[in-house]
Amino acid sequence: MTHTPTPTPTTRAGIPLQPAAFGSCQAAAPVVALRQVYKTYRLGAHVIPALQGVDLSVARGELLALTGPSGSGKSTILNLCGLIDTADSGDIELNGQPIDGLDEDALTLLRRDALGFVFQSFNLVPVMTVAENVDYPLFLTGVPAAERRERVAAQLAAVGLADHAHHRPDALSGGQRQRVAIARALVKRPKLVIADEPTASLDSHTADQVLDLMRECGHAEGAAFVIATHDSRLTSRCDRVVALLDGRIQ
Amino acid sequence: MNPTTPLPTAPGPTSATAPKTTSRLGDWVHWLRFALHNTLRNRRRSLVTAAIAALGTAAMLLAGGFALFTYESLAQAAARDTGHLVLGTPASFTSDEDVPLQHGLEQVDALRQQLLADPAVRQVLPKVTFSGLISNGDKSTVMMAVGVEPDAEFSIKGPFLTVTAGSVLTSGETEPTVMLGEALARSLKAAPGTSLTLLASTTEGAMNAMDVVVKGTFTTGVPEVDKRAVFTSVALAQRLLVTERVSSLGVFLDRMAATLPAQARLGAQHPTLEVKNWEQQAPFYQAVKELYNRIFGALGVIIGVIVVFVVTNAMAMAIIERTREIGTLRALGTLPGQLQRSLALEGMLLGGVGALAGAGVSLLVSLALLVFPVDMPPPPGRSVGYPLNIAIDPALYLLTLVLMVGLTTLASWAVARKTVRMPVVDALAHT
Repeated sequence: MTHTPTPTPTTRAGIPLQPAAFGSCQAAAPVVALRQVYKTYRLGAHVIPALQGVDLSVARGELLALTGPSGSGKSTILNLCGLIDTADSGDIELNGQPIDGLDEDALTLLRRDALGFVFQSFNLVPVMTVAENVDYPLFLTGVPAAERRERVAAQLAAVGLADHAHHRPDALSGGQRQRVAIARALVKRPKLVIADEPTASLDSHTADQVLDLMRECGHAEGAAFVIATHDSRLTSRCDRVVALLDGRIQ
Repeated sequence: MNPTTPLPTAPGPTSATAPKTTSRLGDWVHWLRFALHNTLRNRRRSLVTAAIAALGTAAMLLAGGFALFTYESLAQAAARDTGHLVLGTPASFTSDEDVPLQHGLEQVDALRQQLLADPAVRQVLPKVTFSGLISNGDKSTVMMAVGVEPDAEFSIKGPFLTVTAGSVLTSGETEPTVMLGEALARSLKAAPGTSLTLLASTTEGAMNAMDVVVKGTFTTGVPEVDKRAVFTSVALAQRLLVTERVSSLGVFLDRMAATLPAQARLGAQHPTLEVKNWEQQAPFYQAVKELYNRIFGALGVIIGVIVVFVVTNAMAMAIIERTREIGTLRALGTLPGQLQRSLALEGMLLGGVGALAGAGVSLLVSLALLVFPVDMPPPPGRSVGYPLNIAIDPALYLLTLVLMVGLTTLASWAVARKTVRMPVVDALAHT
């Protein structure tokens, strides 16, 4: 009897995925892993369950889309993966490191060094130029000025905004702003990028461009993406889609 | 977007433990520039805030400069009146005299020579103070007289009296002369050249009288003093009181700052005598200083509170408007302390620019008052006003600038504290 080896799963771009990318909790060192995570919110006297025992892990280089109706828990998972919120119970690991018990400053430093964020409404700093916005995460991590200049220029070139380095965000279109936000998220070569409805404010053509950009840059850098979206065009091009309903993975 | 543009090569993510390689100075410049850009977001609000800080600073500096000028003027007047130091017998400072000059100084000439040997001493002037009656033959009234050495007194003190008629006393007069306070002269219907009679008790307790001629009249600016004041020479006073003694010796130094060292030095050289400095002899100076310190101190506190409130309000508005941005910066990995420092720098910039502008205004006003003099009305109890001047004191300027910048920085730091520490999720959801 012959044994046929199981082929190594890959992303749609051909990048090999680690087993953790398939939601297995036993996989070694996924970029981020949630195990039996519960989260509730209080609205006055009402307790609203946002997550009810979610297990999820994301592998290096994976583009993971979270879908579901409003209130299904997408944003809560993003917040937890982005270390800007804490779970009521359950375990969260980043790069195999449990984050439970870390204080706010330690979480901030983890975000600074390992995470990138892309927001629906871009959230660029209006008083900074495009280059300064992209430079900011590098400045925070203490990269020397000369190296920062090089990396910012290269990243802006990568997102096609080299000529807009000294413009202010308000002089850019929505698509350009989102590209700046992607450059800002990727310039420090994060392990994980959290993207909340990154194409919601963009027209379809620009949304396609932005998605291409995230795929290209993400794969080149080896960054995983966790993207909350309602956009079916976007989900169709992600490596994996996780549907949520009432705080549970479907 | 250019999809063919090569992506930057990545040496790997920066480690959380990677050493910081940017310079601290570079960091500060970065944060300062960020703060500067933020202060320019809402220019009108920043302008108003800086203007309030400028007004506050100018008000503090002008009030403080006026107080300092007043202190300096009073100090100079007090030192000019009594001398920087006053030498007398210990009893002369503590006890009333039963007879004139009971506690006076003897062998004054030798003592003067010893005092003049001190390098800081510019002049030593004897003074004989006594009271008695002055009469024009028809009317007698009480006088408070001072015997001085006319030439030395007027040369060392300058124009300390405002002569209203006649002239000042001089040494070597051929006849006994006096100067009268203006109100006293008017009371006695005396004018320069008028003969009057002085009556006083001698040191032996007997009454003595002496005819004198009025050399001039003056005003001290204090009507109550002008009703009684008489100036004459030490020699005439001693002849009238039949004594060789003087009441005290006024020691005039080459500068105010030499007062305390000279006091200690002369006190050690003359242990049987008491050496008082001008400040100990000028209760009015102390009273005015205490009063002004309280008035202007309270004014400074009020101004400081107003500035702090204005800056706090402006920064609170700016921070509330930027809560979502603060959340973004926190999500990107900015520590709360870094953001708080950046927001404090914004307050520092607003306060610093305002304080510098206020200092400039104060400087201009102070200089303008020198070019275009303004007279203040006479204070209570005085008959003449005085020029309004504002001292330009570097220490006061430095202290006020530091205080203003410190207050605005602290106010911004405090008001930012809550927002930079709010949960990132809440800050990002802020609308």
